[in-house]
Amino acid sequence: MASMREIKSRITATKKTSQITKAMHMVSASKLKKAERKIKGFRPLMNKLRDMIDNIIEDDEQITHPMLIEREVKKVCYILVSSDRGLAGPYNSSIFKAFTAFIEENHESHDEFTVATIGFKAFSFVRRMNFELLNTEPIHVRDDIQFIDFNKVTESFKDDYISGKIDSIVVFYNRFINTLTQIATNTQILPIVNGHQEIEEPKEKEANGTRLIYNYEPGPQIIIDHLLPMYVENTLYGIILEAKASEHASRMTAMKSATDNAEDVISTLQLHYNRARQAAITIELTDIIGGANAVN
Amino acid sequence: MKVSVVTPYGELYNETVDYVVITSEINGEFAIMKDHIPIISTIDIGYVKMVSGETEMFAVVLNGIVEHQNNVVNVIAQEAQVGMDKERAMEHLNIVRQQRIEENKRRSVDFFKAEQELKKGVKEAKAGRL
Repeated sequence: MASMREIKSRITATKKTSQITKAMHMVSASKLKKAERKIKGFRPLMNKLRDMIDNIIEDDEQITHPMLIEREVKKVCYILVSSDRGLAGPYNSSIFKAFTAFIEENHESHDEFTVATIGFKAFSFVRRMNFELLNTEPIHVRDDIQFIDFNKVTESFKDDYISGKIDSIVVFYNRFINTLTQIATNTQILPIVNGHQEIEEPKEKEANGTRLIYNYEPGPQIIIDHLLPMYVENTLYGIILEAKASEHASRMTAMKSATDNAEDVISTLQLHYNRARQAAITIELTDIIGGANAVN
Repeated sequence: MKVSVVTPYGELYNETVDYVVITSEINGEFAIMKDHIPIISTIDIGYVKMVSGETEMFAVVLNGIVEHQNNVVNVIAQEAQVGMDKERAMEHLNIVRQQRIEENKRRSVDFFKAEQELKKGVKEAKAGRL
């Protein structure tokens, strides 16, 4: 059995660790709340953009844009959204696992796809796996991430898409279900598929029979040319926000269970410590009694 | 008429004004006054001038959409900055962007250094063998 001093130092060490994990748990909890608020604030803007696009496309059948047309997929761009730091439970590994499984299932060689990463962990993962990387520098997912932070990536994949170098863009991220569950999912952001837009309930203005007819300045085509790239960027931003919420939730749960575990460890160690102390006392006692007996 | 300037990071401006003037590099300049018909326009790099009485406010916009209906002007921008005059607002926006890029670079380096240090520390402390 380990000596008393050893056990004691392990107890203090574990206590300190649990203090840290507890603090991290609370920090993540408050950050999660903030992230959720951000998502809520962002949603109306996104809906507005979508409404506008729908409106323009409905108004004029002539309008087309390469981002709306599905073409034969020769090369795919995957975007991995991960965190910068670890200690977030299965947050990063679940994405990487889902991604590698997906790659194995859908691709025969590494030439068929290229990867863009958001988050330091994803960057080092992709570099380790020797996939073709779109961004040369890791993009950090800060808590207050802004467009400008991942501007370079969006620019380059938009250009590649328009020029035909890549034919589809799929994002891998952790979808936020609730605080306890986040599911690694993938969604296609380019080409823009119309399918998921039509589930929404009919809009109010259509119900009233007075759908607004807009004037487009300078023209619908030019506006759609401008609007769609913006829409794609905003979609990606929305996804990153959601991934961010997932990250905090995941870290929160991980830290919670770490704290609980530490408590278990401490109680077991305390038991060992007490036993060792009792053993030491017994030995001392037998020594004294033995000595006393010898004198008599 | 009401005007609201919204970015993904929150609402920057929401006031009642007399009229707005929208300027962008692709479209040129035009004004939206009260009871204008519904209109949608885009701004790549430009500004929205919001005039009420004697006071003028400028919102410098990068990548934005302007929508007007029922005397409500919605400016949705990816990046925007509201200020008293356009030069200063633009300058401010550029400075903020520049700083952001530089900060990101610095963070990237710092992060990498910290990561290396952590690795070294873990090795030295033999933390894996506890």
